[in-house]
Amino acid sequence: MDKNFIPEDYIPILVQSVVAFGFVAVTMLATHFITSKRKRIRTLHKDENFECGIEIKGNARFPFSIRYFLIAILFVLFDVEIIFFYPWAINFSEMEWMGFFEMLLFMFFLLFGFYYIYKKGAFDWKHDE
Amino acid sequence: MLSKYIFYFLSSVAIYAALMVLISKKPIHSVLYLTLAFFAIAGHYILLNAQFLAVVHIIVYAGAIMVLFLFTVMLLNLNIEGEFPKKNIIKFAAVIVGGLILITLIGTFRTYDLEIIKNPTLNQIGLVKNLGKVLFKEYLLPFELCSILFLAAMVGAVMLGKKDIQ
Amino acid sequence: MNAIIALSALAILTMFFGVIQKKSVLLPLILSGLIIVFFLNVIEWGTFKHYYNEMFIADNFNIAFTAALILTTFLVFIFSALYYRTVKRPLEDIYALMLFSLIGGITMASFGNITMLFIGIETLSISFYILAGSKKFDVASNEAALKYFLTGTFATGFLLFGMALIYGVSGSFNLQAINSYIIANKESIPTLFYAGMILVFVGMAFKIAAVPFHFWAPDVYTGSPTLITAFMSTIGKVASIAAFYRLISITFLNVHDFSVDILMLFAIATIIVGNLSAMTQDNMKRMLAYSGISNSGYLLFAIIAMGPKSAGTLLYFSISYAIATITAFAVIMLVREERGTFSLQDYKGLAKQNPVEAFAMAVAMMSLAGIPPLAGFMAKYNIFSVAMNGGYVWLVIVGVIGSMISVFYYFKPIIYMYFHRADAHKKIETTKAYKIHILLVSILLIILGFLPGLVIGLL
Repeated sequence: MDKNFIPEDYIPILVQSVVAFGFVAVTMLATHFITSKRKRIRTLHKDENFECGIEIKGNARFPFSIRYFLIAILFVLFDVEIIFFYPWAINFSEMEWMGFFEMLLFMFFLLFGFYYIYKKGAFDWKHDE
Repeated sequence: MLSKYIFYFLSSVAIYAALMVLISKKPIHSVLYLTLAFFAIAGHYILLNAQFLAVVHIIVYAGAIMVLFLFTVMLLNLNIEGEFPKKNIIKFAAVIVGGLILITLIGTFRTYDLEIIKNPTLNQIGLVKNLGKVLFKEYLLPFELCSILFLAAMVGAVMLGKKDIQ
Repeated sequence: MNAIIALSALAILTMFFGVIQKKSVLLPLILSGLIIVFFLNVIEWGTFKHYYNEMFIADNFNIAFTAALILTTFLVFIFSALYYRTVKRPLEDIYALMLFSLIGGITMASFGNITMLFIGIETLSISFYILAGSKKFDVASNEAALKYFLTGTFATGFLLFGMALIYGVSGSFNLQAINSYIIANKESIPTLFYAGMILVFVGMAFKIAAVPFHFWAPDVYTGSPTLITAFMSTIGKVASIAAFYRLISITFLNVHDFSVDILMLFAIATIIVGNLSAMTQDNMKRMLAYSGISNSGYLLFAIIAMGPKSAGTLLYFSISYAIATITAFAVIMLVREERGTFSLQDYKGLAKQNPVEAFAMAVAMMSLAGIPPLAGFMAKYNIFSVAMNGGYVWLVIVGVIGSMISVFYYFKPIIYMYFHRADAHKKIETTKAYKIHILLVSILLIILGFLPGLVIGLL
């Protein structure tokens, strides 16, 4: 573990992403050239999302229940919380019991928060109306 | 040498994306450009050898928060496109204020002797292990207070988002 | 440090009892808890402990301001029973958020490291954003919350950018370390550092609502629920000014020549704009919002002068401002409940029908205006004398003129209450407990007026 890490360690990832984006770009360009030169036909039905089936009505944008937002926001909060575990877990053996209790306190607050939001019915979809 | 070119590439991508966030007329395009800006900045973190930060930036910002943004923008009833009407005087004032801040910052950065800064690529503090040591020893108290901040945010989210049961 | 730990436990208990629907337990629990926290805080007096690598410095300044913050919160909680008397649900979320913002405020009064300042400000502000919108079905409250959130996060961005620049130049977040960097490089501090300082000042000026970063305050204070307005305008201001003082007295004292010009600009503009705008208001809540803005200007005097008595005077001014503001808001809450608006017209003839409430309001207004022998007068007198000793004569002249203008608008409600005949207003029924509380608070304000030396001598 004494090896010094440098940004150049990430060159494989750079290469990989260049390949990934390059593949998409090349494919898109290639299809453009390979396909016949015939002009693209645009009709009303061809531009629709679904060519067959039920007729499209209205707009996809309409107000949703706030519950989706609530769950998404709570997810972000716990997501950020989880991030703190990673550096903790790597140093776990070195920090001994002190580090364990530090995390326990942190966890206590967040688990209490979870208990609170659970009891408040944030995940309860039945009693909506 | 390579990192220098990558730096310029990432910087221009970040600045372009940030500008497009403001210029785009469709909110969803703004959000997607913001994601691009976040990825470019994550690349900067890697160049600075702050690997943990780069990963966190992608997971939390580009992952969770941008998804939330997209979600909100898509589910909101934002059928109106185009610019919101602004008065000319407000635009004028905004340009002056923004320009002054830009000039001040450019002026101060120009005078700063960049040679003092140590080569960041040899700095190992951004690695997960070292960061953890700093976080759980030196910065323990701010870390624990963060949990209170999260708890406050959680209570607020539930308070504002939940219908009161009478 | 005891205070923060105990308050966190108190907030958790509050949430717990709220969630199991024990409404009757909540307020007694919080009030007794706050008294315990107050004593836990005060027993640390004179110990000068540093916690966790100087993250948290428990010096006398911190303990005194923590005590002031806890006292203010206590007073707000006393009146919350009146404000929320029609609400059936336990309201533990609002109470818990108030306690969380108190924790943030205490952190701001005691930080030894800029990271702690940032987390303190965030805890305070995020709780405030939510509290401002806590009246969910009121459009004004929603507007207040959104406006406060958008402008507040923008200001926090400036603050954070400034902190980053300061860190970039000095290489440390520790207040003492930054100070020693300044001393060591007194001649060659790069401009970048000053840019960082200005950005931090902008952020802090926003938090104390100093002109030209005050524009959010009137709308937010008017739109928020009145109890929350009382809480925000006192806790937010006292905590932010304590943080500002701490930042400048520990870190930027050796570059104070640079800060003085900016701060003087803030102070003079704040006093002039705050007082002149307050004059034309007919809405009591909005008037008090502008009065809060103008008071930030006076508070800045102590920071500009940085004399030996600055800290004590700041404490005394903060306490007298907080108590007077809470008293005024307590009466406003009552009148609003009964008569439906915040208009000055509602106060006509209040003295005949509700003498106790009118007396409390009059005491609060006179204290804010600075009429001797009330606490507000002694606070203003002392803060002017601090500025005078520092040699800022022009500042004092502006301050005195501002005070004279302020007498005009602070006396408007008094005139309405005492010298106008009530048209069709009935007597406002209040509980005995409320009468006793409001009387006690106004007497506290009078007593405080006789003890300026005691409070100022503390620090």
